[in-house]
Amino acid sequence: MGLEARATLRRPFAIGRRGFVVLAIVLSAVAALVVLDAPFRALLPQRGGFAIVRAFFAAMFHPAIGYETAVPAGTPSLLAEALAAARRTVVFAAAAMSLAIVAGFVLGFFASTAWWRDPAVGGAGARRRGRRALAGTVWAATRVLIVGMRSVHELLWAVIFLAAFGLNTASAVLAIAIPYAGTLAKVFSEMIDEAPRDSAIAMQAAGAGAAQAFCFGLLPRALPDMCAYSFYRFECAVRSSAVLGFFGFPTLGYSISAAFENLHYSEVWTYLDVLAVLVVAIEIWSGSLRRRFVA
Amino acid sequence: MSCAEPDGRTTPVFELDRTSVLYDGHAALADAHLRVERGEAVALVGPSGAGKTTLLRLLCAAVTPTSGRVLVAGQDLEALSQRKLQGLRARIGFVHQDLALVPNLRVSQNVIAGSLGSLGFLRSVRAMLLPSSRELDRASGILERVGIGEKLFQRTDSLSGGQRQRVAIARALYQEPWAILADEPVSSVDPARARDTVALLRDLCAERGLTLIVSLHDLQLAREILPRLVGLRGGRIVFDRSTQAVSEQDFRELYRLEGRGPDGA
Repeated sequence: MGLEARATLRRPFAIGRRGFVVLAIVLSAVAALVVLDAPFRALLPQRGGFAIVRAFFAAMFHPAIGYETAVPAGTPSLLAEALAAARRTVVFAAAAMSLAIVAGFVLGFFASTAWWRDPAVGGAGARRRGRRALAGTVWAATRVLIVGMRSVHELLWAVIFLAAFGLNTASAVLAIAIPYAGTLAKVFSEMIDEAPRDSAIAMQAAGAGAAQAFCFGLLPRALPDMCAYSFYRFECAVRSSAVLGFFGFPTLGYSISAAFENLHYSEVWTYLDVLAVLVVAIEIWSGSLRRRFVA
Repeated sequence: MSCAEPDGRTTPVFELDRTSVLYDGHAALADAHLRVERGEAVALVGPSGAGKTTLLRLLCAAVTPTSGRVLVAGQDLEALSQRKLQGLRARIGFVHQDLALVPNLRVSQNVIAGSLGSLGFLRSVRAMLLPSSRELDRASGILERVGIGEKLFQRTDSLSGGQRQRVAIARALYQEPWAILADEPVSSVDPARARDTVALLRDLCAERGLTLIVSLHDLQLAREILPRLVGLRGGRIVFDRSTQAVSEQDFRELYRLEGRGPDGA
């Protein structure tokens, strides 16, 4: 009865709250295109551009096996070079991730509310007033630090480190490690906070201390998800590492940009194919590990 | 069993003295008196919401009373320091209704986790990650006794509900407790297994001289296995006698359906 009464009260063509949201999104999309002066027009290639596009995509079907032009004697073959670049790409990503996981783990621990706030689980800061104030400060400071690390993209970090330290391995690794550590810390802290707390509470009821309950009751519950997410981030780090090559670091991106500048499109496709195979291989590998951890 | 054991002759192991627990003004437990002597085996019976869990949680200091006192081994829990309280808790095994095991750890780790309360942090890390053969032997012996010795190194979540229950019991025993509190330990298994589990708890405690307090929804089971029954209803202890002395009238009273407004609470 109440439903019928309400139905008759509704005006025809009335826009509900959801309708307003959809309308607002559509309007802001239109407004953005207008403000940007219809950017799609620029996507229509000029005459020369068409030729480049055609040449580039035509090369897709015959990636180069050897170099397209003569190279100095002693240069490793194209395939060897591509594989070496792929290896360097993975090594950069692995170095960055091993820093990021350690930092993310430590920061994630300090950023979790379970540890600082919940007396039933960690509760390091919950019992005594002096500690509570300190706990709040550490927690907030960690959160701010994490946001700072995350909000600057790895490419921007790379620009900063290039300017500061020049083109060396450490600046590439740090450029990836810092934002990744921030992201891992944020996600780790959320996973810790969402983990079921019953075993940690039971351990404290059996006399365990806060740190013990946290490490053996709470952390193991979050660990499978944390591992799975770290594998996923490793995949992302491989792509980031490849892209950093465009700044001159010796990863796949460097080879791609060099070949592209020489208009050696078949070589570009060779490198792209190697990158694709690499990403798929890591995906398969990490997927199988993820299943083992989460199942 | 090297811990400071309570002098069982004179002081009861557990004592509630006019103890009440209020949650949002509603009495989960009202004005309760209870004395449990060392080595006794007691069942708390009554409908759900009667205050059985609250009573058990009071005894291991997981809940603080709103009024009245809780004495464990003659010591008023309120007067104890945090450290003393932790030491006390380390020697009271609690089998939780939902078991509260860590599903993705090995059975051995869940059992050895029973010793966390009596180890420092670094020693507990060692015990959990690299258990000594002595620790493994002890865990294995206890698992053997509860009937799942062969599961020592399996992942806990690969076990059946009944087997997990035994892991929870083994963890409590690994604490070297002088008392075991069990909160509806059989809520998740079929009746035949439930009988076995409660009988196992009683036998384990009897052979080790431990005090056992177990809350049971299943009255029949409690009557069959435990020698003393404490009936709770609406947060009040309505009877407390040896099982033979509990009359059918008592049981009817305990499970009488509500329907005539608040019953004196």
